[in-house]
Amino acid sequence: MKIKEVIKAKDLNEALLSLDKYRDKSKLIAGGTDIVIDLKHKKVLPEVLIDISDVEELSQIKIEESYVEIGAAVTFTKIEKSKKLDNRLKGLKEASRLVGSPQIRNLGTIGGNICNVSPAADTVPPLLALDSIAVVMSVEGKREVPLQELFLDKGKIDLKENELLHSIKFSKLQKNQALGFSKLGLRKALAISRIATSVCIEIDEDNRCKEIRIGSGALGKYGLREKSTEDFIRDKILDENFIEESARFLKSEIEKRLEGRSSKEFKSEAVMGTFKKAIREAIQLIKA
Amino acid sequence: MKEINLTVNGKKHRIKIDENMRLIDLLREKLNLLGTKEGCGEGECGACSIIMDGEVVTSCLVMAFQAESADIITIEGLEKEDGTLHPIQQAFLDEGATQCGFCTPGMILSAKALLDKNPRPTRVEIKEGISGNLCRCTGYNKIVDAIEKAAILLEKGGN
Ligand SMILES: Cc1cc2nc3c(=O)[nH]c(=O)nc-3n(C[C@H](O)[C@H](O)[C@H](O)COP(=O)(O)OP(=O)(O)OC[C@H]3O[C@@H](n4cnc5c(N)ncnc54)[C@H](O)[C@@H]3O)c2cc1C
Ligand code: FES
Ligand code: FES
Repeated sequence: MKIKEVIKAKDLNEALLSLDKYRDKSKLIAGGTDIVIDLKHKKVLPEVLIDISDVEELSQIKIEESYVEIGAAVTFTKIEKSKKLDNRLKGLKEASRLVGSPQIRNLGTIGGNICNVSPAADTVPPLLALDSIAVVMSVEGKREVPLQELFLDKGKIDLKENELLHSIKFSKLQKNQALGFSKLGLRKALAISRIATSVCIEIDEDNRCKEIRIGSGALGKYGLREKSTEDFIRDKILDENFIEESARFLKSEIEKRLEGRSSKEFKSEAVMGTFKKAIREAIQLIKA
Repeated sequence: MKEINLTVNGKKHRIKIDENMRLIDLLREKLNLLGTKEGCGEGECGACSIIMDGEVVTSCLVMAFQAESADIITIEGLEKEDGTLHPIQQAFLDEGATQCGFCTPGMILSAKALLDKNPRPTRVEIKEGISGNLCRCTGYNKIVDAIEKAAILLEKGGN
């Protein structure tokens, strides 16, 4: 490591100004759980580190009239324990609760999880299923983009040199909507087999699916929406038979995507399990 | 070089650090607190665990400059000034929960962070609380026993 300057930002303004000044010479650090390892292996070689972990404005969970906003520097522990996030958002809390270990959850942030663009970033599938908007900020101001559009490639995020992820926004869930989550493989050592699925559904009294969004992890270069499976499920009655049928449909989609990969067989089989758990959980949350 | 202020085991320090230092380096090299161990250096083993502002974290993943103004507890901060062991330390000894001892400081700090928030955890909660701490020697059962015992000692009015 050859870092020449370190800045612990006291507020958002200082973080933005420092980032604007040092641009590609600098790297942001929040929980450090990804970047400190990258520094050790010289995968990144910044001259300047800008710490945003104590920036108050980035560390808040806000519940507004129609949407929820989670600051980029909010830790997994804070999401898991938050009383502001109600039980219909269980999928997001569950994804946070199942990360690594207490130590990692106390340090790691949702913004770091997103900006590291790992295929196995656990909070990304639920955030995609929530149709989240990323709030991006620089000294020039704020812009909002769908979260999915920030992902360019594995490890590559679509942020300019002077931009940071400010927060994540998504619509509040209504009574007939809920978010479920399921993942396979708890330890980092099993990262290759770490498949995560999150399902956000809206159903009517007859159990008919009015809307569905499925986010998946470890089934592509980064977190993805399973749109053709969503189309297959929308407007159908969600009974057990149809859930099984949907799982087989998703399986065939994954088989197509992973054609030629050694992981194809295992992953396409495993995703049926995580999908069924996640959708059943969401249905249960609505009925509870 | 950069100067930072922080509190370690109740004592305030003003220390010159190298920009490339991690918190574990600061504790071991600048403050000579050798109870904090480095195992994997990648967040996997928990040997470097310390308590920072009330939460247990792996000090190998925190950069030293990030600890500006932080309140830190290391294993050296647990025993009393007269040398009396902390109830969690005593319970580890009594239950034979330490063999080679490499994991013990981190294990005890994870236990402390858990018991500070949840004074009567179930065995499942204890296992979850120490899930970020690897032990190659004990097979964990005696560690869980020790933490259960420590919870009782603490409730009876230890510190
Ligand atoms: C032992 C271990 C177990 C783990 N287990 C899991 C797991 O189960 N599930 C999982 O998903 N992850 C896991 N991780 C990975 C890691 O903890 C997460 O990805 C975490 O969310 C990273 O957040 P951070 O705040 O620590 O990021 P940092 O390491 O501080 O930053 C990561 C990257 O994002 C950039 N960045 C950070 N914040 C911003 C921002 N606001 N705007 C722009 N760029 C930013 C940084 O510059 C850096 O490039 C594990 C890691 C370890 C070491
Ligand atoms: S040395 Fe820090 S977790 Fe292993
Ligand atoms: S006692 Fe040896 S590693 Fe735990």
